[in-house]
Amino acid sequence: MTETRAATVRETAGDGGSRPPHDRTSARRRRWWLEVGWKYFFAAGIIFYAAFPLVYILSASLNPRGSLAASNAIFSAVSIENYMALGDTYFWAWYGNTLLIGGIAAVGAVVIGAAGAYAFSRFRFSGRRASLSGLLIIQMFPQTLAFVAILLMLLAIGEVVPALGINSKISLIALYLAGALGANTFLMYGFFNTVPIEIDESAKIDGATHAQIFWRLIMPLVTPILAVVALLAFIAAFGDYVLAKIVLVSEENWTLAVGMYQWVSDQLTSRWGLFTAGAVLAAIPVLVLFLSLQRYIVGGLTAGAVKG
Amino acid sequence: MRKHIGMSALALASVAVLAGCAGGGDTSDEASEPVDASGVELTVWVDENREPAVEAAAATFEEETGATVTLVQKNFEDIRNDFITQVPTGEGPDITIGAHDWLGALVSAGVVNTIDLGDKTGEFEQVALDAMTYDGQLYALPYSLEAIALIQNVDLVGEEAPATWDEMIQNGIDSGAERPFVINTAGQTGDGYTMYPFQTSFDAPVFVQDSSGSYTNEVGMGGASGEAFAEWLAANGEDGTGYISTTVDYAINNELFNSGEAAYTVQGPWAIGEYPDVNVAVNPVPPAGDGTAAPFVGVQGFYLSSQSENALIAQEFLVNYIATEDAQRALYEADPRIPAWSTVAEEVASDPIIAGFLASSQNGVPMPSIPEMGSVWDFWNAAQAQIIAGADPVPTWDTMVSDLEAELGG
Amino acid sequence: MSVQHDEAQDLETTSGPPSTSRRGGPSAESHSRGWRGLGWGFLVKLAIMAVINALGLLALISAFRVESWWIFGITLALLVIADIVYFTKKALPLKYLLPGLAFLFVFQIFVFGYTAYIAFTNYGTGHAGSMEQAVDAALIQGERRVEGSPTYPLSVVERLGGELGFAINDGGEVLVGTENEPLSSVDVPTASGAPSDVPGWTVVDRGRLLSDQELQAAVVDLRVPVSEDPNDGAIRTRDGSSGAVYTSTLVWDEEAQTITDTVSGTVYAPNDRGSFVADDGSSLPTGWYVNVGFDNFLAIFTDPALAEALLIVTIWTFAFALLSVVLPFALGLLFALVFNDPRIRARKFLRVLFILPYAFPAFLSALLFRGMFNAEFGVINDLFFFGADINWLGDPWLARGAVLFVNVWLSFPYWFLVCTGALQSLPSDTLEAADIDGAGKFRRFRSIILPLLLVSTAPLAIASFAVGFNNFTVIYIFNDGGPVIPGAPYRLGSTDLLITAIFDIAGISGGVANYGLASALSILVFIVIGLIAAIVFRQTRRLENF
Repeated sequence: MTETRAATVRETAGDGGSRPPHDRTSARRRRWWLEVGWKYFFAAGIIFYAAFPLVYILSASLNPRGSLAASNAIFSAVSIENYMALGDTYFWAWYGNTLLIGGIAAVGAVVIGAAGAYAFSRFRFSGRRASLSGLLIIQMFPQTLAFVAILLMLLAIGEVVPALGINSKISLIALYLAGALGANTFLMYGFFNTVPIEIDESAKIDGATHAQIFWRLIMPLVTPILAVVALLAFIAAFGDYVLAKIVLVSEENWTLAVGMYQWVSDQLTSRWGLFTAGAVLAAIPVLVLFLSLQRYIVGGLTAGAVKG
Repeated sequence: MRKHIGMSALALASVAVLAGCAGGGDTSDEASEPVDASGVELTVWVDENREPAVEAAAATFEEETGATVTLVQKNFEDIRNDFITQVPTGEGPDITIGAHDWLGALVSAGVVNTIDLGDKTGEFEQVALDAMTYDGQLYALPYSLEAIALIQNVDLVGEEAPATWDEMIQNGIDSGAERPFVINTAGQTGDGYTMYPFQTSFDAPVFVQDSSGSYTNEVGMGGASGEAFAEWLAANGEDGTGYISTTVDYAINNELFNSGEAAYTVQGPWAIGEYPDVNVAVNPVPPAGDGTAAPFVGVQGFYLSSQSENALIAQEFLVNYIATEDAQRALYEADPRIPAWSTVAEEVASDPIIAGFLASSQNGVPMPSIPEMGSVWDFWNAAQAQIIAGADPVPTWDTMVSDLEAELGG
Repeated sequence: MSVQHDEAQDLETTSGPPSTSRRGGPSAESHSRGWRGLGWGFLVKLAIMAVINALGLLALISAFRVESWWIFGITLALLVIADIVYFTKKALPLKYLLPGLAFLFVFQIFVFGYTAYIAFTNYGTGHAGSMEQAVDAALIQGERRVEGSPTYPLSVVERLGGELGFAINDGGEVLVGTENEPLSSVDVPTASGAPSDVPGWTVVDRGRLLSDQELQAAVVDLRVPVSEDPNDGAIRTRDGSSGAVYTSTLVWDEEAQTITDTVSGTVYAPNDRGSFVADDGSSLPTGWYVNVGFDNFLAIFTDPALAEALLIVTIWTFAFALLSVVLPFALGLLFALVFNDPRIRARKFLRVLFILPYAFPAFLSALLFRGMFNAEFGVINDLFFFGADINWLGDPWLARGAVLFVNVWLSFPYWFLVCTGALQSLPSDTLEAADIDGAGKFRRFRSIILPLLLVSTAPLAIASFAVGFNNFTVIYIFNDGGPVIPGAPYRLGSTDLLITAIFDIAGISGGVANYGLASALSILVFIVIGLIAAIVFRQTRRLENF
């Protein structure tokens, strides 16, 4: 049962076609309004709620006045001035940093998480249950709470290995990967369990090693959860403020979260127009990734976490 | 001018000496050969506004000495804490830009070195040097002074300076502007700095000054005069006339003034660039109470790390490459604050706007630089924001004063 | 960790069963994935391990040179473990767990331990360095230039044996001295500028001086007395090319570990709080950090202003975390129930629009709402409240409502997705059975769907609670935790969670830094989270299912 769940939760296409074709009587129409029709109006309401802030930000980003007070008249003026102005700031450097850090952290999280889940799912070793419970507990402690120690530790490491000290993107990625085993293994573990062990065993009889089974048999079968974990790790890195703020101390090394917070919070350089234009651009990679992976996300979230 | 020439000659001489060393031996005959100072790397923390100017000075320095200057661009507000945290671990920079009111905290953290400007001392405005002096020692090379002033929309209210708050408000109302006056409260945070000239006009200084003008640890804004200011603040706050409101932050303040919706505002020289659409005049802030409206004078400069491994070359960079008329002018052009270098200050005072800020700063008092200043601002700003937003003025103010006294006493 | 999984053969050692040339044979279709191809996997492993070992060794050497024993020890241990795990056949599961465990250990578990250590110190403003650095700072602060002392052109000179000295030009006369020998005149022709040729001495050229940090440090520390009388002061250089006379008013006595003010005669001795204090109670400005025992923990409970503010923060943290699960869950479930209906057209398209807030990066949303909620100029008052002046960010309760609104907006799509998925995976026979029984819609929902849904989403709800408990980004970025609670230290605010409160106390964003106190609070929050986690897992008995 469980192994097919990922497939069943994905929606089938063309689901609207089941409506009877000839419901012409008014009684039927009224019933349709009562049971289905109103849902479209409800949907319109939800869409307004969900999308209004995003429409607003798009409008503000196109407003050449570039200030909060001037942005309230939606689409009152359209100009790409704010977007051009981003070129005079560190925005594109931050953009690059964010994609780089997020990308590497995502790949790392997938590999570490998948390897961990494979070990827990396929090997029976002493301390296995204790380790799983331990991970479950540890992942609840946010690293953010230890930021003072992280700062001091990186300062100390920087003395020894400058590339791993403060202001290093590698350090930041390493910090993000620290949470990878705890947060993702548990999510993946359930999914790995849905892959029948018989597949492993028949390959083993054929002489496959555990590494070959992992890389060439299991990994292709668990692609949905890999996509989900990659996306979650990317979003987590993308949205992190505290650790990025502490580790990356020079402005050209900042990520979007740190830099754009500065734009809006620093009272001396407040720039609403720049921020909104930057936000629109910054949201694009996440939106694209999210929407293109969304069918996996629904499957992955429910199959992996809703009872493994 | 004479000194300027002398300094250039000195710089030239040092180039010759340095160039000689690199010539691969002991003779100093090849003066054109660049010095091999590879491995010498000065790290300087600088903020975005001032980076181009420091970069220019650094380029000359690099060219003449062969050393590398690495500029790390940082957010100005982050520098104080990062400097305090990183210098003791050896990771900090050799030089950083900073404000004089950090001095107490930097000294108590033991992260700054003293500096000797030598013959250059006389070139700086005395008030700038005083601000950078702590317990009789000079800790930074000052480069700018700043004080907020009253900025007015000439087309609405003319260039004449109003004599009092009431006169200003009346002028503003008469001008037909949507708001007679707008002032930044940094949103909900509160901004005791921008509000300070009005506070001092009620004779409620943040700390009592001793006879020599140094601040003592005694909170001066308690008692009747402080309460009078608090009441005035409430009367003009959101539940009063509404001239002062916590919805206004820096950007909104500038937007309102630049669009001509407000006749007057109080801002510093750094904000002038935000008002391209209106004609402005700059005057001292009018008093709201019976005293003089004295804004805080802030000084900014370059600090030297106490743990720098390149102390000699860092000092050389500061004294011979930053403390020059050209470099100081470049700094002024990069970030137009009142120059601390006297001749540049005279030069730019022909500009009426700078002259206005200069006039305002002459009424001013230096911002205290005691280490506890950080928490003073926290309490002070928060109390002001609450009063403006409608809290009961006198109890709120008195609580803040007693909290401060407890904080400073303990 | 012993392996019970008996097929623990290793990639690189596998030869497999004798080849029966299955490959190529038509019957091998289903199994012949080329398992026994060349051991290139082994080569990749070898290459990676070679790089790791090389980097590890470099780090070890570097750590040894700067005498950083903690880092040396941990690096060595990790390196040895990695080599054992990957080059022996033991500990098969570890081959898969080690990379994650290594990161977890260093960047999560170790930093937790380190936090605990800091919690027992007074590390923070005024106590940021070591005692040695505090002494340095005191000496720097105590050394003053003698009033009226001119600036002399100066050269650094060196004598056989490496002894350093200064040669200065005092109006044409060249004087030389060392640390132990006061300045004395040497007979050279009157010169201008820094002495370039001093008999008996080698002039150290500036290029070498500036590029040799050890030499530079020695020169910076060098003081050449002007005369036999130490009170006359000593020559000191700050740039290596000029000098002036300085006197020091503070003297460090290494034996007694005290600093003496030579002018007033006051003796400053170190106390157990990391400061130099005199008998009269006065102290030197710079301190160092020391172990203060449980003081930080006590301060959290005994400092009335702090304790009161932290109580408000703690209550709000729980309320926020709970409401951040319940409200979006309810909203998401409602939407999922309504739109889990095959009769609705374009459901996929609608779903994409519904989940837009979730796909929009959270920090950007928080910043966006920060502007939109501005009382006077924000679009929310302007458009939806007809320009009313509702002070969303300034009033404690409105600010709490606003931040909850933002968080619901951010996370309802998540619950919409989860509930949709869970609804669709409910056993259809159960639902059909209920249908046949004629159970009413609402009753069916309450007694069948909801319980099943709650069971299946409970772990996500717990995780979501933990996220809300520590939701730094939304709280801090939306309104800095403000508005400030009247009279609260460290600018603690009405919407501050414990985690943002810790950030404020640590003083990263300005003000007074108190890392010790912040760490102590972190430890307490760790304990609270640990307790919650333990209770919740016990309750749900999720652990039974492993």
